[in-house]
Amino acid sequence: MMLPRYELKSDESLTVFEFVSVGGKGEISKIVQYSETNLKDFYNLGFGDKDLQTGKVDDTVISDNGDSQKVLATVAATVYAFTDKYPEAWIYATGSTKSRTRLYRIGLTNNLGEITEDFELYGQREGEWREFVRGVEYEAFLVRRRS
Amino acid sequence: MKKIEELNESKLPIVKIDKSLGKYRDKVLFKEKVEKANETLKSVGLPKALQKSKA
Repeated sequence: MMLPRYELKSDESLTVFEFVSVGGKGEISKIVQYSETNLKDFYNLGFGDKDLQTGKVDDTVISDNGDSQKVLATVAATVYAFTDKYPEAWIYATGSTKSRTRLYRIGLTNNLGEITEDFELYGQREGEWREFVRGVEYEAFLVRRRS
Repeated sequence: MKKIEELNESKLPIVKIDKSLGKYRDKVLFKEKVEKANETLKSVGLPKALQKSKA
């Protein structure tokens, strides 16, 4: 089942995406960025709120716009778009806080069947990467598109 | 040609290209996150399946 998501804009490299969250706090511009790490083909997924006046992006602010599921579904859509262009990429993601990491874990758990059809999914726990399973706390996540 | 409804149901989203977003391409917007990713990948390494395939 396709979850509701926001419309996406991106630059030509498909490494930076923008969408607008609409909710109780009004319109909030969100930026998603895939940044290369020191390891070839490994990218960090980051996203946060864009300050329209300064252009700065903050991933620590709590927007509380009442649309977290739609926001996460939209971020998930960027993973499809990014890995469509960069099929060899591994994507690393973690929350800026433990509670956000947990929120991402819940989102992954709720859509696990669909996600694992298209991606290998790992969670970091106790110093190693393990295949993601329900009901286990992880510190970070790693995904790769299945070929 | 696919109908709009079919396109909207696709996992691969429709993405509008906005060249103005290119200004972020050479900037690392989430430096702490990238640093953390680098630390983790260095200390934890790769998933075992990938380690085997690279061996």
